[in-house]
Amino acid sequence: MMTAGHRDEELLVPTYRLTVNGRARVVQVEAATPLLWVIREQLGLTGTKFGCGVAACGACTVHVDGGAVRSCSFPIEAASGKSIMTIEGIAPTRWRALQAAWIAEQVPQCGYCQSGMIMSAAALLSEIPRPTRADIAAAITNVCRCGTYQRVEKAIMRAAAALDATTSAPGGAAP
Amino acid sequence: MAPDCADRFAGCDGPELSRRRFIELIGHGSGALLLSASWPAWAAVVDGSGAARSGEAGLNAWVRVAPDETVTIVVSQAEIGQGISTTLPSLLADELGASWSSVRLVTAPYDPAYRNPRLNWMFTGNSESVQSFYDLMRAMGAAARDMLVRAAASHWRIDPQMCATSEGFVVERGSQRRISFGRIASAAAQLDPPRNPTLRADAELRWLGRAMPRVDVPAKVDGSAVFGIDYAVPGMLIAAVRTSPTVGGSLRSYDEAAARRSPGVKAVVAVPGGVAVVADTFWRARRALAVMKCEFEGGPNAALDSPALMAQFRARLEQGPFATPVQQGDALRKLAQGARTLTADYENPFLAHATMEPMNCTAHVTALRCEVWAPTQGQELAFFALKSALGLEDKQIAVNRTPYIGGGFGRRLIPDFIVQAALISRAVGAPVKTIWDREEDLRRDQFRPATLVRLRAALDGAGLLQALHARVVSPTILLPVFPGIAPVLRDQKIDPSALEGMTEWPYEVEHRRVDFHLMDVPIPTSVLRATGYGPNIFALESFIDEIAAAAGVDPLAYRQRLLAANPRALRVLERAAALAEWQKPRASGAGKGVAFAAAFGSLIAQVTDVAVSDGQVHVKRVVSVVDCGRVLDPLIAAAGIEGGVVFGLAGCKSEITFEQGRVVQDNLNRYVMPYLAESPELITEFVEGGGKLGGVGEVSPVTVAASLANAIYAASGERLRSMPLSRHGLTLGAWR
Repeated sequence: MMTAGHRDEELLVPTYRLTVNGRARVVQVEAATPLLWVIREQLGLTGTKFGCGVAACGACTVHVDGGAVRSCSFPIEAASGKSIMTIEGIAPTRWRALQAAWIAEQVPQCGYCQSGMIMSAAALLSEIPRPTRADIAAAITNVCRCGTYQRVEKAIMRAAAALDATTSAPGGAAP
Repeated sequence: MAPDCADRFAGCDGPELSRRRFIELIGHGSGALLLSASWPAWAAVVDGSGAARSGEAGLNAWVRVAPDETVTIVVSQAEIGQGISTTLPSLLADELGASWSSVRLVTAPYDPAYRNPRLNWMFTGNSESVQSFYDLMRAMGAAARDMLVRAAASHWRIDPQMCATSEGFVVERGSQRRISFGRIASAAAQLDPPRNPTLRADAELRWLGRAMPRVDVPAKVDGSAVFGIDYAVPGMLIAAVRTSPTVGGSLRSYDEAAARRSPGVKAVVAVPGGVAVVADTFWRARRALAVMKCEFEGGPNAALDSPALMAQFRARLEQGPFATPVQQGDALRKLAQGARTLTADYENPFLAHATMEPMNCTAHVTALRCEVWAPTQGQELAFFALKSALGLEDKQIAVNRTPYIGGGFGRRLIPDFIVQAALISRAVGAPVKTIWDREEDLRRDQFRPATLVRLRAALDGAGLLQALHARVVSPTILLPVFPGIAPVLRDQKIDPSALEGMTEWPYEVEHRRVDFHLMDVPIPTSVLRATGYGPNIFALESFIDEIAAAAGVDPLAYRQRLLAANPRALRVLERAAALAEWQKPRASGAGKGVAFAAAFGSLIAQVTDVAVSDGQVHVKRVVSVVDCGRVLDPLIAAAGIEGGVVFGLAGCKSEITFEQGRVVQDNLNRYVMPYLAESPELITEFVEGGGKLGGVGEVSPVTVAASLANAIYAASGERLRSMPLSRHGLTLGAWR
């Protein structure tokens, strides 16, 4: 066993400013640190998951300026100055409809991929408010090892309908 | 874990059948309606801390009641996505007469009180939880109820027969008088527990057979669920691990100065086969691993290659030696004399578990104590493995299970990652969370082994099956999760789990023989969801199709003939055929395949619909009809069947291969799982056949490879005798 001593490098760690779930945050991490690990280890938001580290599974999906990003392969440098939304930040937004639909359809099994699923679904609905099955199949490329895909699809359809009803109703809430 | 088939089948068609109610078949559509119409706002709460409430009175090992009316129920079984943390506690609470919104669920520590009562071992797996704990949960709920009732009756000075429980109160029958559980619990806890508590009549239970809201779902949609990888204890460091990419290799060297310079690194610790970096964050630990240039010795398996390995399997298939666990009639003589015989060899690939949450464990080990917090299915095995690795006494070891676990599939029965985390913590003298990256997780898996199955059949003049001879070549799957089986492996050369599906045989055939060769491989092999049933049923149910084709009989009709004396099985098969519109004419390039199995104490019939074009197999629909005796929760059970179909398809899409001792598919971009676009429409129904409770969690993957292969044959005329599809130049196609 080797025990490390003090290092000069620690003094040179750069600082980044970003907005996470509406809150301004400052983090000091090495430039190559993936956004995933900033979110999980610097900011303590553990709802975003590590699955593969190579952007293959989507468990780490978050929004960067509204678009879905696989944060395990997205360096903090690229996120600097941007607005990040994670699963912990969606309850006060219109995407709460997705959480409600996920509960109504009882989507999760082990649940580990579901934060990323919901974030991917939110990005899809912001592009295509009433997606077809083909739209969902093209957009949702997250891996669920428990195989909840059929319920994911139904929940997205349900949330889309609910959001549509809200936004098109007279006096309905604005997004 | 050995199949208990004769016993399971004995009760199938008894006189009880007619007395049992049959619930309406729960289809995917009706299930959703049920849910949206009547979704209860109440739910039990999962308390990850598990801390005792003040003034809590323990009524038995499973139930505690606090003065604030909180009813704490212990969850003995690992929630790995199968919904067991809802199903079993709600059964207990129902029997008790508790209010579900007052229930708090805590995760069981390792304790013999929480062992599986049938197998006397604390674990979660083998689709055992409902089968094994149903009676115990009801008895524990009834016992606690009995104590509360007697305490209340004594307080009121009336006959306990005059009392009942409802929604968290003991009530006096025929009066308005009632007292809450919280007020009477401490008096109840002083009473002797009843020896034979009286159970409620099933009709009295409020939730049995109904869809309950899963207690684990809310925390899984807002990011608050704390999985093993999210677990934290004060002062905790994080470790990343790199062991030899080859199976059985070792660390040769690394650049220690580079590790030392890498930011955040606190220590570098040797682990068997490799090295762990302990740092303030996982990312920094993993970064250090990358810059310290670990080099490895290939070890004894540096030349291991899949083609050469499979050649060894084939040699054993030809030459044995074989044990003969099944011998009924004289299959070999019939085959020698048979008017018509058929032979086919089937091959199953190595598969990895690839749980979405990679292996990880938080451990705090000192000279006098070891405490771990692990996403595990196998607390008892972990306990003994830690005891042996650390040389501590029983009372110095605490094995806690994290309340949320990102998939199991059998991988988390094995305590290797827990012991490793404990050793790392001991080396640095601090609490450490060890996290495997995906590469480590796949390379250090203990794989579902490849198997070879040769099947030979003798048919009579009418094309019916007269004799069946199976040869199975398989490495062990049971040993790593059930070390007690070692003498059976050594003396009898039989792995009971690897024979599942071969010994539990639903069809009528007079002469049957099963030969088994326990293959010795240098690769660690273990159970994976569907265990021995998966590979064996792929072979058997493909072969039944081949026999039907040779006999010129429709594959469904052929199975109906073989099951003619088994009404419970016929009902399952025929319902699946009806739902799948078996008789409907099929378009060119489209086909339907059927498979049937008796597995994990349940019956399943599955019909898979495919279209094959340009090398793409579009799996459009999979109908599964299951008889698990009785359905405790129709939506949770349906979710298990649905998910299991996709899990089965994963084994038809990707495989694990070895090249120069290394796992080739060492991340999810190479071990590629089915995507939403490729996953079929799933139609799931249950038939309550009135037999004993059967398993649900592992039943549906069992038939997937065979029903798919049979459908591909129907669509294209190509017979697949091995998986995955890529071996035949086929891919799983998107179809939506």
